[in-house]
Amino acid sequence: MYLRENEIDLIEGKYGRGPQRCMEILTAVGECYDAERMVPVTSVHIAGNYGNIRDGGLQWLEDLVRDGGRVKVFTTKNPEMFDFEDADELPVPEIYREKQKMMDDVLRALGVTLTYSCHHYLVGNVPRFGDHIAWASSGSGVYANSIIGARSNRDGDHTVIAAAVTGVIPEYGLHLSHNRKGQVIIKTDNLNIADYNHADFQAMAWELGKKVRDRIPVFDDLPPDIVIQNLKAILYTLTVTGTVGLVHFVGVTPEAPTIEAACGGDAGSLEKISITQKDVEQAYREISSSSDEKVDLVIFGCPQCSIQEIGEVVDLLEGKKIHSETQLWICTSNWVKTLCKRMGYLEKIKAAGGRIVADIGAADGPHIYLRPQGVRVIAINSARGSYYSHNSYKMETWFGSTKACVQAAIAGKWRGYR
Amino acid sequence: MITIKAKTVVKGVVRGEALVSHIPISFRGGVDSNTGIVVEPGHELEGQCIAGKILVFPMGKGSTTGSWQFYEIYKQGKVPKGIVNIRADGVVAVSAVITGTPMVHNPEQDPFQYIKTGDMVTINADEGYIQIE
Repeated sequence: MYLRENEIDLIEGKYGRGPQRCMEILTAVGECYDAERMVPVTSVHIAGNYGNIRDGGLQWLEDLVRDGGRVKVFTTKNPEMFDFEDADELPVPEIYREKQKMMDDVLRALGVTLTYSCHHYLVGNVPRFGDHIAWASSGSGVYANSIIGARSNRDGDHTVIAAAVTGVIPEYGLHLSHNRKGQVIIKTDNLNIADYNHADFQAMAWELGKKVRDRIPVFDDLPPDIVIQNLKAILYTLTVTGTVGLVHFVGVTPEAPTIEAACGGDAGSLEKISITQKDVEQAYREISSSSDEKVDLVIFGCPQCSIQEIGEVVDLLEGKKIHSETQLWICTSNWVKTLCKRMGYLEKIKAAGGRIVADIGAADGPHIYLRPQGVRVIAINSARGSYYSHNSYKMETWFGSTKACVQAAIAGKWRGYR
Repeated sequence: MITIKAKTVVKGVVRGEALVSHIPISFRGGVDSNTGIVVEPGHELEGQCIAGKILVFPMGKGSTTGSWQFYEIYKQGKVPKGIVNIRADGVVAVSAVITGTPMVHNPEQDPFQYIKTGDMVTINADEGYIQIE
């Protein structure tokens, strides 16, 4: 692999052991993909929180800082476990306050901007079309590639941290134009897409992800007015059951004004994938993992809720009260929480018996302390959130639409799809 | 003895018992990081432990935080001895790099035709091949 002078200095340890280790990681990854060189990155995003980094990972980060690792590129960070503002009220055990304080300290020392958001692209980390970036958090990466047209591989956290410290990433995979062509066509014409809600799109994508695997899918028959929330539903779910880094939505994705442009000319010869309404119904049953009707917690925000999504919950809760034995949490970024205060949403959700919590996501952060506090059955409007909270934290999950989840919060019981 | 050439991800030579999954694996949510046991419901390897095995699977999937999980599995001493992938996903590749787990990908022949769970397999990632006994 060809390295520039500065990159050779890095790997020879001229800038210390930390940056050297980062360059070693990048060259090892680059060489396994036959990358010819490094390219500069303009933006980095780190995914892991304490719940999945744990003490081993915390130590890894502390070692990196001790050995001179500092980010050179604007770098943001995914949600953590709680918002310090609400720590007493939630309540967060002392041990996790300590751990999150350690996370804060080490990330700040590394030079990371502590956004604690997975919609960082809505709150300040906005790459341009064609930029090379290193975004971990599989949903964010596929969003950047498919909606913005910036270029990120499905990098693990260690790769993106190494990119942030060195300022470069190996040029392979989705960084190269010829690897960004559509490889399989998705046909949705036998589904009732016109009636689909946000959850239906996720159930559809759940099934499709298994068939797409690690290829680049092209959707060419979605309605032209499909809202961004539903595109996110497809993208964020495809990365759970598949290894998808880029999706071409013809007419939406900057590189896909037409199906020919998306596929590099030969759309006709590509495999076509379609699923049936029955498959979508089966996916619903597969995503939910609970059989117990009584719901302990209804949680929104995987990925973190936008202001529009919170507005939708506020409307559904109008004049209603949340069941006394059920909690309702809306997870979002600190920016959106601030906006919720201004919009009166915070007060409205509180009056109904729920809460808006910043700096966390609904897939994992809070589950590390909620599960020991007796929260067992959750209702969630995210297939991704259902998968991770079940498999990582043994939550029993119900998956359904925002409306079905709000109804569960009011009744204290799951009455949605099963 | 069958030999299949493959591309090196992380150097090293290891011999061990194969554990084969025909479907992708997510180290985040798919494998318990304390025990190394596959926990994804309905997964082909559900209930099986990856520790000390030559883990053969097509590719990684799921969350990009998988490399932290893999690092934790490593800290707990439950990592596989070596990894064979059809195509290394970036998350699995960097997991192998930071833990020094010998790994190859892009085998020249379909390893699923030749390797069954329980077979003794050698990964020679110094020279870029796998050998099935």
